[in-house]
Amino acid sequence: MSKRNYYDIDDILASQERVPCFLRTDLDGLGSSGGGGSSKVHRNSRWSLPFWMADRLNDEDYLDMQVSLVFSKQSNRMYAASPESVDLRNICQNYYQFGLQLSEVAPEVPHVLHNMYMTRIQKIARVAQQGNNVETLDFVQSLDKMEEDILRVCQHAQGAITAWHQNKAYALQKAPVIHN
Amino acid sequence: MAVSSRQKEGFTMPELEYLAQCETVTIVPMHRMERLELVRGTVGPFRPPQKTQVPLWLATMLKRTNRCRIVAPDWLKYEHLQKLCKQEEEPDSLFTKLPFHYLEIAHILLTVAEDDIAESQGIRRLLQDLRESRQSKTLRGMEMLNPLQLQMDNLSAAEINEIRPLFRHSFNMLRQLDSLVLASEKSQQQSQYADQSYAGLEDSFVSSYPL
Repeated sequence: MSKRNYYDIDDILASQERVPCFLRTDLDGLGSSGGGGSSKVHRNSRWSLPFWMADRLNDEDYLDMQVSLVFSKQSNRMYAASPESVDLRNICQNYYQFGLQLSEVAPEVPHVLHNMYMTRIQKIARVAQQGNNVETLDFVQSLDKMEEDILRVCQHAQGAITAWHQNKAYALQKAPVIHN
Repeated sequence: MAVSSRQKEGFTMPELEYLAQCETVTIVPMHRMERLELVRGTVGPFRPPQKTQVPLWLATMLKRTNRCRIVAPDWLKYEHLQKLCKQEEEPDSLFTKLPFHYLEIAHILLTVAEDDIAESQGIRRLLQDLRESRQSKTLRGMEMLNPLQLQMDNLSAAEINEIRPLFRHSFNMLRQLDSLVLASEKSQQQSQYADQSYAGLEDSFVSSYPL
C-alpha cells in the first residue's frame, strides 16, 4: 500500500474498495466451511477482496490483483465521453482516492483521473457560486466523497461574504438566555 | 486547540475585517487633540479643520463618538466606481485596480460613516455590481487551472479568501496526479529502453553469428 497518506483517514477509508483477484496458491483453512464443505480456498479461483488486503497479498505473490471494474478500459472510455454526467457516487464512493491508490498497478489511471477532475471541478466551482437549484441537483448527487467535501467548503467560503454583509458572520452572539 | 473546519480553510470574514482596520483613512477632526503615541506610530496632532491620516479603527472610534468626519477615499467615489464597473464589464478585461481590502473598508465606512459619503446608496449598488462581475471573472479564471500556478492580479483579500478552498484542494489533487503521471511515463520510458537494449542484444547476436 502506498505510504503517502499514512495519516489521511480518507485514504484509509478508500482502501476498503474491493478489487478482483485471481488466486495463485491453494490456501488452507481460510475459506468459510459452512455446510460441511472443505475450508480450503483453491488456486485459480476468483475473489473480490478489499484493496488493503489484496495489495499486500499481491506483493507476496499469493494472488494476482486485477484492475477494478471501475477503472477498466471500457468504463474509462465510457466516462471520458461526458465526465460531468457520470454518477460517481453510484460507481465508487471514493473514486479519486481509490484511483490514486490503484495508479501503482494501473499506470493509465492518473490520466483518467486528471481528465475527470479537471472537467468536474469547474462544474463544482460553478455550482458552489450559483448555489443549489433544480438543474444542478443531479450533479450534486453524483459527486464522490472528495468532491462533496470540496463543494461543501467552497459553498461555505462563497457564502461567507454575504453572511458577513448581513452581520451573521460574527462569533460572538447573544446567548439565548438574554433574549427577552 | 481545536480549530473549526471553516477556520482551517483560510480567514473568516470578521478576521479580514479586523485586518482591514489597520489601513489608513483621512479624517477631519472636530475637536482639538494632542498627538497620540500608538504602537504602530504616531497620529495627530488633531487641529480642526486640518485633515489627518489615521488608522481605520481609530477613525471609526472617533466617528462613533462624533469627534471627526471621515473623508471618503478617492476610490469610493461614485464616478470612479462607475468607471471601474464599465472597465470591469468589458470583455477580456483584467481585474481593475482596487485596494487590497476594498470590500471590508467600504463595508465599514458605509456602516459607520454613511452620512460622510455622497451617494452612498448608489455606491452600495455599484460595489455589488463590481463584485458580481469580478466573481464571474474568477470563475472564468478557473479554466486556466493547472498544477503549477494561477495568476489573477488585483484580486482583493476577501475574493482570494472566497476561492481559496477550491484552489487549495484542486492544486493538491492535480499535484498528486501530475507526479503519478510523470512517474508512470518514466517507468514506461525505462521499459522501452529495456526493450530496445534487448533488441540491440539480439542484433549483435545475429551479426556475430557466422552465417
